[in-house]
Amino acid sequence: MDIRKIKKLIELLEESDLAEIEVQEGEESVRISRHGKAVQTIMSAAPMMAAPAPAVQPAVAAVAAETAAPPPPKGHTITSPIVGSFYRSPAPGSPPFVEVGQRVNSGDTLCIIEAMKMLNQIESDKAGVVAAILVENGQPVEYGQPLFVIE
Amino acid sequence: MGAGLFIGRMGRSGPAVAVFDAGCYTIAMLQGSALLGILADGQFHSGEVLGRTLGISRAGVWKHLQALKARGIEIDSVPGKGHRLNGSIELLSEADIRAGFGDTARVRLAGLELHQQIDSTNSELRRRAAALPSGFACLAEAQTAGRGRSNRVWLSPYARNLYLSLLWRFDTGPDALSGLSLAVGVAVVRALRRTGVADAGLKWPNDILWRDAKLAGTLIEMNGESCGDCSVVIGVGINVCMPRLLGAAIDQAWTDLASVTGTHPSRNRLAAVLLDELAEMLAGFEKTGLAPLLEEWRRHDIMLGREVTVTTAGGGESGIARGIDDRGALLVEADGVVRPYLSGDVSLRLRDTGSARAPSGPDART
Repeated sequence: MDIRKIKKLIELLEESDLAEIEVQEGEESVRISRHGKAVQTIMSAAPMMAAPAPAVQPAVAAVAAETAAPPPPKGHTITSPIVGSFYRSPAPGSPPFVEVGQRVNSGDTLCIIEAMKMLNQIESDKAGVVAAILVENGQPVEYGQPLFVIE
Repeated sequence: MGAGLFIGRMGRSGPAVAVFDAGCYTIAMLQGSALLGILADGQFHSGEVLGRTLGISRAGVWKHLQALKARGIEIDSVPGKGHRLNGSIELLSEADIRAGFGDTARVRLAGLELHQQIDSTNSELRRRAAALPSGFACLAEAQTAGRGRSNRVWLSPYARNLYLSLLWRFDTGPDALSGLSLAVGVAVVRALRRTGVADAGLKWPNDILWRDAKLAGTLIEMNGESCGDCSVVIGVGINVCMPRLLGAAIDQAWTDLASVTGTHPSRNRLAAVLLDELAEMLAGFEKTGLAPLLEEWRRHDIMLGREVTVTTAGGGESGIARGIDDRGALLVEADGVVRPYLSGDVSLRLRDTGSARAPSGPDART
């Protein structure tokens, strides 16, 4: 299940007086329940036996990890030339332009930043190896925000 | 880019697309188009005369006719009379397009290239961008991989619609061009007005609709560094006379110029007018940006005051469309708060039925 959907469910729970939300989608199910003040996510592959949570993950930590500052980048940083949304692949479902560890040449496309339906292809201005991808697919980026580190 | 409409994403296309994307007619293309040139008058021509004119056998003529039919071109074959197009077809002609240029287009358009068939006019200009001058235009009679945003298929049957791309170089960084999408929409609306469509509307950021049905679409792609030159490829597809059978596969409300105007508009004239308006708009945009076009965009805003859903990576937000701000961002009011959106997939609640237009999916970027 998409992490964005889980985030949305957590928000929903937090905004409501509910103690628990359970959503089933195909073979996956997610149950988010409130224990005291902490919000917890319970994920299970077998929805029918979801009760004794096989994996308990504090949702707060998951969200924090996502918004945590990237590790201090070493090497050459590629920044966003515009405000927009960051996309790692040319189309939904197709493979990303680059992965961490991949060798790139100067001029290779790294990602697309979309704003008002204008697709801006961001190319590497240096040859090297992709050391870090600092933004998650689909997330909004600001002008000058670091996107990639090339070593 | 091309006319026709999105009918799903590449690779998931239904059988109707598979037929027209087959690309199996490339070899016959040259003779096929010569044949089409003769048939373009809409009159009957016998297989014997066609064969003699083209220097091929009657069996060869038959083969080419089948290839044309496979491309969605409707041909009536009547024993004893011969073959004729179901309605006449006007093929693209560089001379005719140039003849329709106004002053700005004559000065600012650096070149014009017509293709019988190409994968995508936008892809072609992007491949060759480094070697081409600013103001270079590319048109095609047919596209085998016409695309919209997120690589959605743009139906591009032969000689029926307008598929046009224009390369333009700006000496500003891409950040200064963020309103270009909306400006292109204004230019297309102006061109349509000159073609007899007085009431084309704009759906943020750059879809062109007529009474809530999609008439034209645009695809803007650019390469640019934070500073320095930025080359932009502007693709415009306008539905002119979409074959009904093919159009049935389109997954959203659509229309074409033939239906809207009740005539068969000239594609050469339309191409000239569109290039004229694009050149005029771009020449101005270089200097003054979106600001002088904001009021005109707002006049054509078909979403204003209507219920919309904006789907972004963070999920969907519904609210009332409150127009655009001066950057061109869409304003949506929900729970008394107006928020600007710079990206997102907007779906519109239909006026008539009150039911929501099918959203193009949470992963779609249109």
